[in-house]
Amino acid sequence: MMSENVLRAARYPFLPETREFVSRNIDLSLESLEKTGSEAALKRAVERVKNALIFKEVKVTALDELNYVREMLSFPIAIILVSMIMNEYVRRMYALGESRGAYRRMLNESDETLLYIGEKMGVGGVLDDENTIRVKIPTYLKLAYSFHAPHWKLVNRAVNNGYVSMGKTEYARLIQVEVNNYVYEKTLEPVPAGAVPDSFRRAVDEIVEVWGRLETGKASRVPLREREDTPPCIGRIIRRMENGENASHFERLVVATFMIARSRSIDEIIEFFSKQPDYKYSVTKYQVEHLAGIRGGGKKYSVPSCRTMLTNGLCYPDEYCKGIKHPLRYGEKNVAGEPRVP
Amino acid sequence: MLQASLEFLKREFFKYYYENISRLVPPEPIKSREFGFFLEKGRGMFRHKCFNSLRDFHEFILNEIPLDIYVSAANYEDPGNRDMSEKKLVNAELFFDIDAESVATVSEEESAWICQKCNQYGIGLRDGCPSCGSPTELVRLVSEKQLNGALRETEKLIHVLREDFGIAPENMRVFYSGNRGYHVHVNQEDFLNVTGEGRREIVDYLLIQGLDEKELLNFLKRGVSIEGVSLKGVKRRVYMRVLEKAGSVEKLKTSRRETVLKMLEDAVEELKVRIDPVVTIDMHRLMRMPESINSSSGMVKRRIRLEDLPSFKPLEEAIAFGDEETCLKVKIAPRFSLGGRAFGPFKDEEVELPAYAAVYIVCKGLGEYAGR
Repeated sequence: MMSENVLRAARYPFLPETREFVSRNIDLSLESLEKTGSEAALKRAVERVKNALIFKEVKVTALDELNYVREMLSFPIAIILVSMIMNEYVRRMYALGESRGAYRRMLNESDETLLYIGEKMGVGGVLDDENTIRVKIPTYLKLAYSFHAPHWKLVNRAVNNGYVSMGKTEYARLIQVEVNNYVYEKTLEPVPAGAVPDSFRRAVDEIVEVWGRLETGKASRVPLREREDTPPCIGRIIRRMENGENASHFERLVVATFMIARSRSIDEIIEFFSKQPDYKYSVTKYQVEHLAGIRGGGKKYSVPSCRTMLTNGLCYPDEYCKGIKHPLRYGEKNVAGEPRVP
Repeated sequence: MLQASLEFLKREFFKYYYENISRLVPPEPIKSREFGFFLEKGRGMFRHKCFNSLRDFHEFILNEIPLDIYVSAANYEDPGNRDMSEKKLVNAELFFDIDAESVATVSEEESAWICQKCNQYGIGLRDGCPSCGSPTELVRLVSEKQLNGALRETEKLIHVLREDFGIAPENMRVFYSGNRGYHVHVNQEDFLNVTGEGRREIVDYLLIQGLDEKELLNFLKRGVSIEGVSLKGVKRRVYMRVLEKAGSVEKLKTSRRETVLKMLEDAVEELKVRIDPVVTIDMHRLMRMPESINSSSGMVKRRIRLEDLPSFKPLEEAIAFGDEETCLKVKIAPRFSLGGRAFGPFKDEEVELPAYAAVYIVCKGLGEYAGR
């Protein structure tokens, strides 16, 4: 039974064969999980979530792989634990941790295995020659849009006949996004029916405690509640960022300039940005101060206009947007606008 | 526009739709599309309309004789819902608009200005009225030269869509907009679900925005031949164009960096496809209905088969109306060609024109119907 395939299933527990193996061999109802003496798996599940929260990466050692039953089982249990916590930030961080770990491991895989994982995760891909993999353009656009480095822009890619070509590392990065999406979606599913065993409750408490400790020392969260006069385009970005979703450079600029325009203090704004997965205090402070006109040429940046928001694909108007050309004018007019036709 | 002119237009439009109604076939499935109409001059758009069948759609058109007809690029679960987010977008065709104005500006002799305040007018492009100084209304005629430029741009677009994006010719439909531009509709399964953000990337690709010039410049300055750089897509095209411009690899090596950069920028200017970005990014866009009349000109949004594209003559092939002589009172009209004939220039005169040219003048707001 101990084949390369089983090790792979333990290394990438989100693959369909892991799900099959688990459902074929183990009863996943909560009561039986407790009975079958799966403490080891539960313990490993807690470790998975803690890894994600502390290191932003779930590590899988060779020893973990050898304990393949425990390893495979720990993944669905970890998802149950995260679902039980019912916190958006924990969900995002867990999904990020699992996907980052998977990405690291994929970098050491053969072309064959990498393409296999891609296939199973719905990314697809065709091996052209050594080190070049082709992905369909729509798939590429769906997965790469969250990356902001210029080399990910379609205009800078090798595009030909409906495909985008890339190296193995970049291909693994695309799969990572899909793994992240998959894990996140899973944590939104309801916890299996039945009474929750005490051991699971204790596990959740343990995770919550670690999470709490990571939060201490940070300034108490200023609720940046959306006000009624926040335009929908900016409200949408704020909500996504509050949930720890990675925002683009432009989206961050929009939110920062908006908060500056609404007289938020620099500290308040930095605190808000601290939820971003790639947050760095010094960088954020520098950039926010720059936008506020405290640094650099002393030029205060303004909130981008409605047209700029639209061309950046960020305009989600509601009825109070009619007749305005700038997000800060939101709600001031409410007249029938020109219909949008070419 | 006088009531008599509007009635004249409605009569002519009715004749066209009565005879050609079977040509008006909206994209399938008709039930999931939103429709919009301009029913009267100066009134807002009547939108959020949906139809259960082609027959209902045709009946509506023949009853209402709209001035303009639009259909959504998107499919919705509930296309008739007035709340955009409640419509529940399923997917959307890719829609490209090439406006002749973005390719070349219209010339003075193909334009007219009208001052609504003191009723002055003349040929040319004048922003302010010479007698009262108030802003004028500018009327730009459909310029053959501009349209030729837009047609070349459309051919560029089709080339890139085929070569780079792998869009099959049978999934691409090309149209003359009926006024001053071209439209391309792409209905290919795998692209229907590309989001607004993804469409933005497609737009940037076509407009060559955000190109990493540094990398190209370094290759060019080192004099690497095209075989030496494994470039694909738009980067390859830009690279080749610069090599062509320079004449030889050697020449590039000895040229100043600024000179090469200038060549690169020129190449980008030549190669970019001048589409209207906002139209393509917006998945909720309404597209002018194929084979319907464009009330800005009285010509038809005409489908062009790909093989006919190089020889397409918009000012002859998109005519919707007959040539019965029609009496018009023309304020001002530059010289123009339509249906293979030349007309004008006219100023303050009553003229007899074939119906298609009369509709054109009325639609452009340059004259009024003066009885048969």
